[in-house]
Amino acid sequence: MVEVSKLVFAKPSKVSKVRKILPFLTVVSIYLTLPAIGLRGFWIDVLTRVNIFLLITLSLDLYSGTTFYLNLGVPFTVGVSAYTLALLNRYLGVPVEYSILPSAITSTIFSFTIFIPSLRVRGAYFSILSLLLPIILAGLVTSQPFSLYLGGEGGISYFPLFFSYARALPAGERVFFLQASHFYLSAAVAIVAYIICYKIAYSDFGFMMRSIGQDELLAEATGINTFRVKLIGFIASSFLSALAGALYAAMRPPITADIFVPANTLVPPLTAVILGGMGTIVGPAIANYLTLIIYEILWGVLGSWRIILYMCLLIVLVLLRPQGLIYYLYLKMKQVFSVRIFKHLGGV
Amino acid sequence: MDKILICDSITKRFGGLIAVSRVSVEVSRGELLGLIGPNGSGKTTLINLISGVLEPDEGRVLFEGRDITKLKPHARVALGISRIFQGMRVYPYLPVYYNIELSARSVFKDARLARSKTIWALTTTKLLAESAELPVNLTPYKLKMVELARALVTNPKLVLLDEPFAGLSPEEVGEVIKIVRKLNESGIAFIIVEHKLRYLMKLVERVVVLNEGRKIFDGSPSEAMNSEEVSRVYLGVM
Repeated sequence: MVEVSKLVFAKPSKVSKVRKILPFLTVVSIYLTLPAIGLRGFWIDVLTRVNIFLLITLSLDLYSGTTFYLNLGVPFTVGVSAYTLALLNRYLGVPVEYSILPSAITSTIFSFTIFIPSLRVRGAYFSILSLLLPIILAGLVTSQPFSLYLGGEGGISYFPLFFSYARALPAGERVFFLQASHFYLSAAVAIVAYIICYKIAYSDFGFMMRSIGQDELLAEATGINTFRVKLIGFIASSFLSALAGALYAAMRPPITADIFVPANTLVPPLTAVILGGMGTIVGPAIANYLTLIIYEILWGVLGSWRIILYMCLLIVLVLLRPQGLIYYLYLKMKQVFSVRIFKHLGGV
Repeated sequence: MDKILICDSITKRFGGLIAVSRVSVEVSRGELLGLIGPNGSGKTTLINLISGVLEPDEGRVLFEGRDITKLKPHARVALGISRIFQGMRVYPYLPVYYNIELSARSVFKDARLARSKTIWALTTTKLLAESAELPVNLTPYKLKMVELARALVTNPKLVLLDEPFAGLSPEEVGEVIKIVRKLNESGIAFIIVEHKLRYLMKLVERVVVLNEGRKIFDGSPSEAMNSEEVSRVYLGVM
């Protein structure tokens, strides 16, 4: 009893805390120095997009990866947030800098209001409803009379985030300023979101979400208010997706109906979640960077065939390794490295 | 004696089938009640109605004088009604510790109190050594202990045990009985659904017998054993 009490109540020492977060800090530090050591042009844009996609991946993993309520309505939340930002700018003249948070909150409220009835029902009903809504919205945006106000096929154009600051700079520095500022903002948001999601997923609340995924009736019958847990989880997850939509719209004008297309905003994060290991947060985060960077590299080799490759990868993964791959490899690697480092320090 | 639970003429239908028909059962504080009957007699349905997994079509369920008929299962747990399910029902991918602590955490807002209660439940059920194990590595007896620990960790006043001896050896049944007796001495009431009558009849103070959804007997175990009606419907003796 004493040993378990110690295990449960003891606070980890500072040394063990540092040892735990040191690899994370190292990776983040190296990543943040990339623009300073010469990353320019196309690839800095790619990494900015991947940072934003990390929010969607985390959003999917935090909710669907733990509760197994597959939320296919991510493009709806992302799209509504992006269009809210664009419309605030076009019709009310609100600068994009000030409309990111209001757009994300608006979209979260929209998603919450629309999906709340489906949270009571398990399985296909929730997934089907969540999948249909973005398709309906994509149709509305490009159909009259809505297309007159929502930009139709061409979308809505406006100046990107921080453009008012970039305008004051010499012409040669403007593009890099915009790219670097977008990269750093998206990276900062992604890092904070990752830490918060990790904390939630491995907290008591996170384990309650997992218990719902494993046996919802048991969870409810043994004291867990499953509806409340699902609701809070869904709101947190929706806010992440909505934030991704608002950031994406702020940095990548014009915004078009393409944002509602699941192949653009759902398939890549979903692949990352399944490949990474559902509910692990670490695995999907690593998989998000790996798959999206490889996806861009493949653009030059395969062109539009890469989406077919993505779909095939999803099918193979679901059939052969539904528990994911990256998290498993991550744990193996961590084990090997920690033993080596320990040996090097004379610990073993 | 002070009545902790009153099922007042409750009925549950599944389409055309009447699973429980106008059943009234009362349980006193600290009582050990056996609930028996042939397969399909409505025992598990009655347990589901008391724990809130099902809502009755007619009648009321009162707990400590309060009408809880419309209350959700999690809210009933917070009031003091815990249960274990028929068969082994645990979270397969969560360690034993979390299988138990999550229930404590949902009832006690104070995390330290929830942890203390979890350690107490692990100690009571002799599961401390297995607290980091996944359920897949446990024997059926240990899994039953996980379920029992999870039911106890929420400070229950009434525990519903649905076939707690199923799949256990006589020695293991003896261990479960010891724990139930010890907890009962501390004032916890039990409703035990069980087919292994030779163990149950020695353990409980009173027996309710169901047949085809109706209550046909309510009395002491010895009276039940001598009842012609019970022998006829339960044991198939004419």
